[in-house]
Amino acid sequence: MIAYLIRRFLQVIPTLFVVSLILYGLLALKPGDPIDELRRGNPGFTQADYERLRKFYGLDKPWFVRYWRWLGRAVRGDFGTSRQFGRPAAQYIFRFRFPNTLLLSGVSLLFAFFIAVPTGVISALHQHSLLDYTVTVVNFIGVSIPIFWLGIMLIFIFAVVFRGFLPAGGLTTPGITGTWPAIADRIRHLILPVAALSSLQLAQWTRFMRSSMLDVIKLDYVITARAKGLNERRITYHHALRNAILPLITLIGLNVPLLFSGAILTETVFNWPGMGRAIFDAILVNDFNVAMVSLVFISLLVLSFTLFADIMYAIVDPRIRYD
Amino acid sequence: MTEPNRRTPELEIVRDAATPRTESYWRFAWRRFRRHRLAMFGATVIIILVLGAILSPWLTPYNFSRQNRRHMFAAPSLSIPDDPRLVGKCVRPRVLWWRCGMHPFGTDDLGRDILTRVFHGGRVSLLVGFTAAFASTLLGSLVGALAGYWGGLLDAVVSRFIEIMLSIPQLPLLLILVGLLANPEVRLATILGDLLGGAKSIVIIIIVIIALSWMSTARLVRGQVLSLRQREFVEAARALGTPNRRIVFRHLLPNTASVIIVQATLMTGEAILIESGLSFLGLGIQPPAVSWGNMLSRAQGFLYYPNGVYIAFFPGLFILLTVLCANFVGDGLRDALDPRHHGRM
Repeated sequence: MIAYLIRRFLQVIPTLFVVSLILYGLLALKPGDPIDELRRGNPGFTQADYERLRKFYGLDKPWFVRYWRWLGRAVRGDFGTSRQFGRPAAQYIFRFRFPNTLLLSGVSLLFAFFIAVPTGVISALHQHSLLDYTVTVVNFIGVSIPIFWLGIMLIFIFAVVFRGFLPAGGLTTPGITGTWPAIADRIRHLILPVAALSSLQLAQWTRFMRSSMLDVIKLDYVITARAKGLNERRITYHHALRNAILPLITLIGLNVPLLFSGAILTETVFNWPGMGRAIFDAILVNDFNVAMVSLVFISLLVLSFTLFADIMYAIVDPRIRYD
Repeated sequence: MTEPNRRTPELEIVRDAATPRTESYWRFAWRRFRRHRLAMFGATVIIILVLGAILSPWLTPYNFSRQNRRHMFAAPSLSIPDDPRLVGKCVRPRVLWWRCGMHPFGTDDLGRDILTRVFHGGRVSLLVGFTAAFASTLLGSLVGALAGYWGGLLDAVVSRFIEIMLSIPQLPLLLILVGLLANPEVRLATILGDLLGGAKSIVIIIIVIIALSWMSTARLVRGQVLSLRQREFVEAARALGTPNRRIVFRHLLPNTASVIIVQATLMTGEAILIESGLSFLGLGIQPPAVSWGNMLSRAQGFLYYPNGVYIAFFPGLFILLTVLCANFVGDGLRDALDPRHHGRM
């Protein structure tokens, strides 16, 4: 087990290396470089300036040479400067963007989890009831709805029809003072984006919880518990739920990174200054350093959470053997 | 799994995957599928949508790009305005009850009929959905089967590659690829542009979706093939000297058919969602082509206009309806093709 973990852990490093190589290669294939932007904004720009600047930024070298340099600096924690904002790319992402994304995704995750588990359990306990069918159909809708359209419709209902009952987007309302009003304002701004972003995971996890619960309540030990005369409540919540929820934890582990990268659409609709939107803008305006640091960071998240999910699996299910 | 009425006659047909699938398997599957009410509903709706998309030029009184600046942001209604200037020009005076001047879904910010555009947008969206799903499932099945059957270095390389690609966030990767293929300074993009002309953005979207979504199918099929490969019937075939190609195409792939078909169905919905997301961000299907996704791309800006919400509402509703129905059909197919799976979601 320990050997397996160490091996898996060591695999993350070469994988991350290849990921960054692929991303850098793809981004470098895009035509256009930072100097084009400068030239466009400056009529006195000569060809000699162009050549000199290209040399200065190292843009005259082939992309793999540039990648090698980038990698050399990146492993020492220097991810270069953002061209749009003139500050270190990592600082921009981690100080100004990541906290917003963490807030949005974290709240969405908790919301989805705490709604999905009870709904899934109740739906499973009343299989084939009207409630179960309703939950099933709503789940189908949840996995089929385009997130951004759901967001737009939510904005229409809560911000347009009910005239500003909830804000249509943004992080905060400017000009609000005092601790409590500010907190209330932040919460109001979170409600709609969280509802949109968590819809997919909510539906998937409810569906998963339901089928996992259905599997567990048919197992022998649950029947034994019932035969011993334990009351249904205790059987459901003490015996069945605890075992049914374990596979869900693994699934959540695998889904967490999705919440971070999948937020591009939600962040666009709600004008939320998070990482997804930053990546999108960076790709559009060729701000490589910002795109690289955020994409590599998300890939690292994906790899760590996959590893985490595997470890969880091994811990909670001793039948699984690794060698 | 707990429905006694669904048990008795079918149980004997829950056959081993190794048994060759005779016609009765498919007839049996069809019988099960027909009983799945949501799936039948989904299949019916999808057939209607496909027909509507194919026949769209003849189904409406309008041309999808006809603008009428005098009649913008009209509310959905079946009445015809009295003022003939508001009616505008039509391709034909009427189709059944739908007469020139009637806007059942309203009009958009340029006075174009939304229902007509929804029909036309369906052409592109459904085309992208079906083509991308079909091709990516085909590609994924092939790669998965080959990797699973031959194992060794090929399998190692393919598996590692898929694992690496799946750890890169998908939407940004899509954005980068679309950006590459749409940029006129990239050589491949110019070749595509010369070749395809106006349809370029549609083909780019299809290519990009295929490029990123064959991997999950490949992983699935590889897993299936890995377990099938150990079975006696494959061993027997090999002992008889059956060539590898025949084992893969005659013995292994047909036995994964149920998984592949279900995957293709679900992928259709997935592809439509991806197309709409990219088009919403402005990187997908480019005007003047219409798709449900690109109808939505500027729609958010009109929410505060009177009747502006319909510009966003109807295309999105059709995306939801199509993907929902594809998922219903996928669920029904899973139950029908793999009876052991019944009752699970």
